[in-house]
Amino acid sequence: MTDHQGATTATADPKRAAKEAPKDSGRTDQPVMIDAKDVTKRYGSTLAADRVSFEIRRGEIVGFLGPNGAGKSTVLKTISTWLPPTSGTVEVAGFDVQKDPLAVRQRLGYLPEHNAMYETMRVDRFLRFMGKVRGMSGEHLTKRTNWVVGKCQLEAVLGKRINQCSKGYRQRIGLAASLLHDPQVILLDEPTHGLDPLQVAAFRDFIRELRPNRAILFSSHILAEVMATCERLLIINLGKLLADTTVTELRAVADEKNISLEEAVLEIVRKGGKRT
Amino acid sequence: MSATVATHHAGYVEGIRIIAARELGAYFDSSIAYVYTIAFVILANSIFMNEFFLTGTVDMTAFFDLMPLLMVLFIPAVTMRLWAEEKKTRTIELLLTLPIRTSQAVMGKYIAALGLFGLFLVGSLPIPIMLLVLGSPDLGLIISGYIGLLLLGGMFLGFGMFLSAISGDQIVAFVLSAIVGFAFVLSGQEQVVAVLDGLIPALSIGTVLYENFSVMPRYDSFVRGVIDIGSLTYFVLFIGLFLWLNVQLLERQRT
Repeated sequence: MTDHQGATTATADPKRAAKEAPKDSGRTDQPVMIDAKDVTKRYGSTLAADRVSFEIRRGEIVGFLGPNGAGKSTVLKTISTWLPPTSGTVEVAGFDVQKDPLAVRQRLGYLPEHNAMYETMRVDRFLRFMGKVRGMSGEHLTKRTNWVVGKCQLEAVLGKRINQCSKGYRQRIGLAASLLHDPQVILLDEPTHGLDPLQVAAFRDFIRELRPNRAILFSSHILAEVMATCERLLIINLGKLLADTTVTELRAVADEKNISLEEAVLEIVRKGGKRT
Repeated sequence: MSATVATHHAGYVEGIRIIAARELGAYFDSSIAYVYTIAFVILANSIFMNEFFLTGTVDMTAFFDLMPLLMVLFIPAVTMRLWAEEKKTRTIELLLTLPIRTSQAVMGKYIAALGLFGLFLVGSLPIPIMLLVLGSPDLGLIISGYIGLLLLGGMFLGFGMFLSAISGDQIVAFVLSAIVGFAFVLSGQEQVVAVLDGLIPALSIGTVLYENFSVMPRYDSFVRGVIDIGSLTYFVLFIGLFLWLNVQLLERQRT
């Protein structure tokens, strides 16, 4: 299923997982684009993220896997500069999200959870707005807009208002808007939510095509989704990063114990659950 | 600052302009702009005409005297959606993770609302035009009145938008803004001042509020044709204060 080569040990131990360098096969020469260190987010008495650490390098597509309410969105929101972490730091392309949020936002393409957009705006105007506010104009903006419109197949809805578009279109409009400025770091929160199987397949191809020279982190609660697109995955539950592993490693663990991949993931999630 | 445009990042003023253009577009997209403008024009013009036929003088004092109370209801209707809607639809996360400063978003929205308010005022222009045709009104007085009205509206827009961010709900924002507006206007009414003074005569609350807080003495000086620095400062300070509070509030709400 993946074109991954040579991984060794399975990483089901959360403490080790969080600290080790990414084992994603020979990409360690690439610069770190997302560097999360001990990210903790507390809402009142709830720990939504508990000392989450990981690095994502250029050229990586990483799947952020976990049940609903595991803390995926919280971590993504801290990377996007929307939420300040209670403690810990996040750097995007070398810029601290709290000290230099504008520099981070310029380099970031972010599709938030629920994909909220200006409902009464026309699709073409919405895309133009998103481009202009990022300082794009003239021919460059037109060229980039045409590119994302083509890639996300939005030609048919350009003259429609966003609230007149189907769920599948809406998701692709959000994706198009987040990629308009050709960001180096792409954060997608449940990007395939609401897409039909054909659209999901097209999305995977598109994301893989984006991979060179970019760091991509996307969240999902569906293992198949993550496996089909990424080599590396971060498993999170109850705010804790439980594993930083690869599909190949996970498969090796599953084969060894003679269980399915889903069960292997569930085992990691359950182990983590007991510790909290 | 706006002259040098870096990649993927608009200049400060340009950023405000883009946000304002989108926000103004949203007023027209949702037909709010048309409904409010038509309602304002009909109300303002008809009430003035009624007064005009009674007194028969070619001046706009009757119009300007009427405006503060009308603004107490109209301005909250304009500002209530500005942040409450962004919060309800969660677009605020989209907006405030764009490469703009929070102050640019606040200024952009404020200018858009001011633009819509400006459109209301344009809708009242038939009145001075009619007066010019019928006689020779004091133009200086009319212009000074409009400046006062613009400042009064600008101040009401300031706290209306702030209250929209604080409440996060459009209805609550409307009610709160109307109450604050009433407080600013009523504290300038003679009867209200007298009643408040009577409560605790030693403190004379009514007079203190009238002199330091109420919008009416400042606004009235413009309506009477006096543009004095004290009144101008009052408006500029309040507008600045509410915009600043708005930025602070949004920054703090990111938790």
